[in-house]
Order: sequence, then C-alpha cells, then structure tokens
Amino acid sequence: MLTYLLRRVALTIPTFLALMFLTFYAIRLVPGDAIEVRMGERGVSPARLAALRHDLGLDLPIWRQFVDYVGHILHGDFGVSLATQQKVLTEFLTLFPATLELSFFAMLFAVLIGVPAGAVAAVRRGGFFDQILMTVSLFGYSMPIFWWGLVLIMFFSVTLGLTPVSGRIDLITYSFDTPTGFMLFDAALSDQPGAIKDALRHLLLPAIVLGTVPLGVIARMTRSAMLEVLSEDYVRTARAKGLSPMRVIGVHALRNALLPVVTVIGLSVSGLMAGAVLTETIFSWPGVGAWLIQSIFRRDYPALQGGVLLVSVVVIGINLAVDLAYGFIDPRIRHAR
Amino acid sequence: MASSTRASAMPAEIAFAEAAPPAPVAAFVSAFRENRGAVIGLLVLALVVLAAMFADIIAPHAPDEQFRAFVRARPVFSGGSWAFPLGTDGDGRDMLSRLIFGARISLFIGVSVMAFAFLIGVALGLLAAMAGPLVDVAITRLMDVIMATPGLVLAVVIVAILGPSLVNTIVAVTLVGLPRYVRVARASALGELNKDYVTAARVTGVGPLRLALTALLPNCLAPLIVQAALGVSDAILEAAGLGFLGLGAQPPTPEWGVMLADSREFIRSDPWIVTLPGLAILITVVAINLTGDGLRDALDPRMRRG
Repeated sequence: MLTYLLRRVALTIPTFLALMFLTFYAIRLVPGDAIEVRMGERGVSPARLAALRHDLGLDLPIWRQFVDYVGHILHGDFGVSLATQQKVLTEFLTLFPATLELSFFAMLFAVLIGVPAGAVAAVRRGGFFDQILMTVSLFGYSMPIFWWGLVLIMFFSVTLGLTPVSGRIDLITYSFDTPTGFMLFDAALSDQPGAIKDALRHLLLPAIVLGTVPLGVIARMTRSAMLEVLSEDYVRTARAKGLSPMRVIGVHALRNALLPVVTVIGLSVSGLMAGAVLTETIFSWPGVGAWLIQSIFRRDYPALQGGVLLVSVVVIGINLAVDLAYGFIDPRIRHAR
Repeated sequence: MASSTRASAMPAEIAFAEAAPPAPVAAFVSAFRENRGAVIGLLVLALVVLAAMFADIIAPHAPDEQFRAFVRARPVFSGGSWAFPLGTDGDGRDMLSRLIFGARISLFIGVSVMAFAFLIGVALGLLAAMAGPLVDVAITRLMDVIMATPGLVLAVVIVAILGPSLVNTIVAVTLVGLPRYVRVARASALGELNKDYVTAARVTGVGPLRLALTALLPNCLAPLIVQAALGVSDAILEAAGLGFLGLGAQPPTPEWGVMLADSREFIRSDPWIVTLPGLAILITVVAINLTGDGLRDALDPRMRRG
C-alpha cells in the first residue's frame, strides 16, 4: 500500500512542475509586462522603468526568473494581486470556502438523486421510468448551465418569488462574523434567527445549477454499473439464497456498482470548478470562479496566474485523493503493475 | 438503451438467414437505425445543419438589421406578429434570424475545433506511442497538465492572453479538447503495436509513417470517431460559455452565448429573449450527443448487447 501511495504521489510532481512552467510562461505572452500594466496609461521614465524591472527581477535571465518563481510558490508566495494589493494565496483562501460549499452541495444534490434513480432504472431496465430517466439525464449532461441558471431564476425567483437572485445571504438583514467561511456553519454559529434558512435559500438554486451536469453523468453511470453487476454470479447466488430483493439490490449489487461511480465523482471535480466559474458569475456567488473572471476584466494577471495554479492544485489533489481511496477500496488497482 | 431491447425482439429466423456476417458498413447502419434516440438526434442535427447552411435563404431578416419600431416585439406564440415569428431582441433585431445565423457560428466552431483537435491530437497520440519513452512522457505530462486545469478555466486564461474573438475561441477550445484524442489514439496505438501484423509489417520494412497511417490509424478510428462526435458538443457548450462570459465571440455577432449574455437585463420583462438562445444550444447539443451515443453503440460491437 505504501509503495502504491508513494508512486502515485510521485507521479503528480512532474505534472505540477509542468503546470508551474506553463502558468509562468503564459503570463509572459500577455502584451505588456507587469510594470506596464501597473503603471497604466500614464507612462513612466526609462530610468524608473529599469529600476522597477530590477526590483521585480524582470532583468534576470528567464531560467533564473522561473527558478525564483518556483521557489516563491514552494514558500506559499503566489504573488500579489494588482487590484487589491493582497496576497493571491490569502485572497484565494478567503474565497475558496464559498466555492467548496457550493460544489459540495451541488455534488450532494447530484449523488442523492442520481445514484438511487440510476439504480432503480437499472432494476426496471427498459421500463417507463428507465426511459424517462435516461432522457432527463441526457438533457442534464447536455445542459448549457449558464442558461439553466437564468431559467431557474426566471421561474423560482421572478415568477414564484421563492428564492433570492444573488449572493450567499441577505446582507441587509443579517450580519455576523464568518470564521469558517462556510456560510451554513457561520449562520448556525451566529445565533441570528432565520440565518440558516436564508443561507439555504441562497444556496438552493446555484447548487442545483452546478449539480445538473454531474447528476446526468452519475445517474447514467450508476445505471450502467448496476446493469453489469446485476448479471454477476454473486447476485444470482444472493437471490438463490432467498434474500429479499431489497437486500440483494441495495446491499449486494449497489455496493459493488458504486466503485465506478466513485471514480466518476472524482473525475467530476475538474468539471465542477469549470461549472463554478459560470454558476458563480450568474448568481454573484463570491467564490474563486467569479474572482478569476473578474481578474481577467481587471487585467489582474498575478491574481489570474496564481488563481489558476491554485485551482489546478486543488483538482490534482482531489484526483489523487480519489485514486488513493480507490486503491484502498479495491486491492486489484493497488497491485496492478 | 433502446437498441438492446429491440434487438432481442428480432425474429429468430432472420438471425439464422443471415448466417454470413453482414458487411461492416451494413452492420453499422442497421445497428445505428435500431437506436431510435440516435435516429431522432441525427434528424434534428440535420435540420440544424441545413438551417446553418441555408441561413441566407431561410432567415426572414438580416441578423444585424435593427427594427427600431419593433423593439422587443412578442413572439407569435404569445400574441406577436408573423413578421417576427420569435419576436425581436432589445435592439429590435429578429430573434429567429439571429438564431438561424447563430447555428452557423456554433456549428462552425464545433466542427473546426473538432477537426483541429482531432488532427493534432491523433498526430500527438501516435507520436507518443511510437517515438520512444522520452517523447511519450513529454506528451503525456503535457496532456495531464491540460486535464488538471478545468476546461473552461483554461480556455478563459488562453482567451485572456490572446484577446477575446471568435478565432481565439476556437484556438482555446481546441487546446482544451486535445487530451481526449491524444489519450485514445495513444492507448489504441499501443495496443496495436504489440500485435503480430505490426511486427510483420516492420520486418518487411514498412516505415514508421506508413505504419502509423495504414496499420495503426484505421484500427483506432472507431473510438476516435465517438470522441469526435462528443467533442463537437463539448466545443459548442464551451464556446457558448466563453461568449456568455464576454470572452468569446463579441457582439453584435449572433452567437448563442453572446445573445444570452445580452438578454440578461430582460429576464424580468421579456423572458423569451433569454429562453430562446439557450434552448437552441440545448437542442443542438442534445441532438449531437444522441447521435454520438448511437455512433458509439453501433461502432463498438461490445456495446451491442443482445
């Protein structure tokens, strides 16, 4: 197990190095360097420009700059945002809980509906429910979620007036400290009546929007994994033993069908972050995705550079965790090769 | 899906009558036709393609023509006139005409992204499989990096560097879509390389390029075609997402994502302006995915479960 773990971790190092090189290099392709961006239209004298370049290390050879860049990152220094003058890492860590909370509930929505629905569809294969579910799931994973968000706002917020349109909580009614950054926890800790309910109402639509594509994928995946498992000998044995259908399907079949589903959930992380960019933009959700887009429009390249790197680190980290968990659950993977 | 239940309903005599295996193309066509969803998808897709091709003839108005007297006219189904069947947008432009011309743009993006990504990706994949471990590691790592960055985020960064435009959208989305072709081509090529016929070809002096094109490529084409079909729909969704964020095609281009972004202010007053462009994206993407699923089931004999 340890060798598997070490090998798997070691594999991410070259990926991470290449990633750093690309983010480092990409920013140099932007017309105008950091100084010009910072100085804006006003212009600056050549002597001052040279001094500033020297201060930022821009006069060093490019390989030295890259080594310095990697050194800074390994020390947790991801640069300073031009727009806010705050450390990029600090800004990311302030905003990331919002994205995490949104993604978690989106995934919860997708799994809680997708897994049972997919399992039932597999058991009743070819039936009415199966056909309906496969159609719904097709539309789910084909959904342009930025449009889906607007449609849900039109229905639930504009027509029915049930849910708020933007943000994480009603800032006029509620004000409390946010020590954890997770609005539901903070609302619970605040002792302000109705705060949790308000936070939940804000969370509902964005979570559904972000969870729609994973829901389609998970329902489909559970169904096909379940179909495969249901034809296995051990399921027939369990049936022959006279176990109740509930027990055969719920325990013997579903538990084994869930293995590929776990992988799909891990693979969805990258898609979730991409979806978060759109979802957060639509719902003015103050997370990492909306922040990246704002950084582009503010020409805040250090924030963009550091932010993209951090998002990728999160994705690599979670995929690694899923791989390790999978190797832990299924010894065949651990011992392969 | 539907294919499996229908196959089992086939009378046994027919199965016996066709003792000899049917020709590959005929087998493919019949397998595809058994799949009702795929046929519907293909029909809808054909309609969208026709609309895109003959946009100049079909569209009742020019996509950029502003009818100042008819700003935000209602569509026919909610009491509007047939002059603007789907109503007009905030600048008095005919929605139907813009949607039809939008089909042209979205399909153009989808198909060109697929073509570029397919060609570059397959070339890289075959190279990785054949050109030795060093090249293999370099290409595989590069693809890992692309996949570690969420698709839309990567596309957004590329557009931020190159500047927002239709061409740069295609560049960005192509790069994002590259890994799937590289991986599929590499994996199937590696599988083929160990087979006897490849060794035989090598022994008789077949060069690497000819080996790649005549032996490897035809044998990994089936999974690649499936990837390509799904790649078109992903490209359309991502390009529309970029357009929606203001980082793709620019107004007044009648791109569906751009039209959606423009329409956000009318979400309370005139919901159809918001609804229609998204519906166009959804219908097109669903049609392509249905077709792609049908292709996969028909091309991959293992998926044809009796």
